[in-house]
Amino acid sequence: MDLSGKSYKAFTERQEALKKQYSRKQAEKQHSKGKLTAHERINLLFDSGTFEEIDAFVTPANQPVEFGKVERTYGDGVIVGHGKVNGRLVFAFAQDFTVMGGSLGNVHAKKIAKIQEMALKMGTPIIGMMDSGGARIQEGVASLSGYAAIFHNIIHSSGIIPQLCVIMGPAAGGAVYSPALTDFVFMVNHTSYMFVTGPNVVKEVLNEDVTADELGGAEVHGRKSGVAHMIYDDEENTILALKKFLAYLPSNNVENPPLVADDGSTPDVNEKLRDIVPDDPNKPYDVKDIIQLIVDKNSFFETAELYAPNLVTGFGRLKGKTIGIVANQPKVLAGVLDIDSSTKGARFIRFCDAFNIPILTLEDVPGFLPGKDQEHAGIIRHGAKLLFAYSEATVPRITIILRKAYGGAFIVMNSKSLGGDFSFAWPTAEIAVMGPDGAVAILYRKELAESKNPAEMKKDLVKKYRDKIANPFIADELGYIDEVIDPAVTRKKIISAFNALSNKWVKVPARKHGNMPL
Amino acid sequence: MNDKLRIKKLYALSSENKKFSFSLPLKDKIRIGRRDYAVQLRDDEKLGTYILWKNRKYPVEIVRSRQNKYEILFNDISYTFTVETPFSLQRMKVLSSGKGKKEQESLRAPMPGKIIDVLVREGSTVTRGEPVVILEAMKMQNEIQSPVNGIVKSVIAKSNTNVMKDDVLVEIKVE
Repeated sequence: MDLSGKSYKAFTERQEALKKQYSRKQAEKQHSKGKLTAHERINLLFDSGTFEEIDAFVTPANQPVEFGKVERTYGDGVIVGHGKVNGRLVFAFAQDFTVMGGSLGNVHAKKIAKIQEMALKMGTPIIGMMDSGGARIQEGVASLSGYAAIFHNIIHSSGIIPQLCVIMGPAAGGAVYSPALTDFVFMVNHTSYMFVTGPNVVKEVLNEDVTADELGGAEVHGRKSGVAHMIYDDEENTILALKKFLAYLPSNNVENPPLVADDGSTPDVNEKLRDIVPDDPNKPYDVKDIIQLIVDKNSFFETAELYAPNLVTGFGRLKGKTIGIVANQPKVLAGVLDIDSSTKGARFIRFCDAFNIPILTLEDVPGFLPGKDQEHAGIIRHGAKLLFAYSEATVPRITIILRKAYGGAFIVMNSKSLGGDFSFAWPTAEIAVMGPDGAVAILYRKELAESKNPAEMKKDLVKKYRDKIANPFIADELGYIDEVIDPAVTRKKIISAFNALSNKWVKVPARKHGNMPL
Repeated sequence: MNDKLRIKKLYALSSENKKFSFSLPLKDKIRIGRRDYAVQLRDDEKLGTYILWKNRKYPVEIVRSRQNKYEILFNDISYTFTVETPFSLQRMKVLSSGKGKKEQESLRAPMPGKIIDVLVREGSTVTRGEPVVILEAMKMQNEIQSPVNGIVKSVIAKSNTNVMKDDVLVEIKVE
């Protein structure tokens, strides 16, 4: 039978009409703003020829009351469907700004909700590409309720399937909460914005002049608010990075992360690791130099790079297996734990725990950041999040103490008593309740005050403290760490430790959920 | 890169805004300005990755990469560049023509501490990531780096003085 026959006429006509709908003019309009069209984004994301669109021919819902115009177009401003990304099944939706500004109407929302439910049932990741003006005013409460249904689905699927979000245009008002609820948010510099209230309302209510970029651009969310995790300069690279990122993650919470063939080019014993931590404990270094030498070559993918850079988080591979990495960064703010780094770390750890990704902690932390700023803003309850997240995690957990491990921060950073599986220390490690100066000042306050030469006496005591107490050997002899290791063999040690932990099984008591100090 | 967009050309844009173009799939040729150079990229066990040019081998090491941004070490000199597609290059032009760039950057103290050393003077040229001030805080001599390429307009920080969080240390005129 051939398609030009009479009974297929309506079918082919409809196909033609849909094709016509995506005109060149609309594509040029997006391109002139430095943006791609929804179709182009979908094509970039999925392996060539694997995307299957669902509900391409649905039309907008009828308006309850005639007010404003609704374009009677196919699809209602969003493309949804499934396909393969790096050969694995993935569901996705891409909002189309060229149809009524990508506004979210009732049908539009139902399409998204439909594939959210499918992704959950199939146990596959879901990716949302947002480019929308917000709720569709013409459709009123139906549109709002559509948002709520989408949020509910995200929360329902949270921790079961990875949910990723790419902001590729505006996301304003209620729309911002759907990315905020997902696991990772990608943003494109200069062409994507997120805010609860836009610049016009800010101007009206507070009389404050602010541009969309200053209020909620990628830079703001990547660096200051921490809402966005990964920022790139253009849409192509954002989508390509997302594909790369997805390769670290399992499809759902009962699978393990995909195994990538290891080319064996990374040496298991590397003497370069001995030279990175400076002899002077007051000198900073870049912890990422250490990470690069431990994980498979070029496999480190940093998350939330610009936000709270004093704590580095990201994924890497060991012999092709995904691990999550949490590392204090002595190069930034001396690597202290503050409010932002605690919440950043906690969220990352919980993601790894939910998706069976073992966690490696590299520790060099002088402590929590002191001061009124932090105390008044609630470092106690925010720091507790990191503590809670580590202690709660049941995935394999290994710590390497590189240098400083003082006080509460030593406890928080995955100490063995918090349920960490293995703790190793480099010979450069300093493990104690507090740093030498603080300890001497407290323990010898009276003696120092009475001394004829307090400076000299203090210097001697600090040296004694450093030699006798602030070292890894006491902790090793007492069993609070498992082994003091030569930095050169770190990778080898970690690989064998994670292998030993590969069947780790922890039974947690039944409960509805814990009560994390949010 | 994706076959749907049929990209035939890629560009490498160096931190000094120099442009190099490559054809896709990669051929043993690179175009700089208007001239083509026969350059080959090879791998072996001893040297790792190296560039073969006029029968001489020059080892290349990727120090850091982040999606399309690369830092490489070549002849012991580090270079940073980004890889751009024709579309992303176009986009860059569209966006940079629209908005004025920030002219001046104030470098502020990220936390309270004591200034140990100021490494620049008025009129010094600084590059992005270059240490400008050493601030001792949390028992660490923190390097405070310049966030931009530019010229130091004024130095407010003084050695051996205490600063509070967000105090301006150095002002830099963005280039």
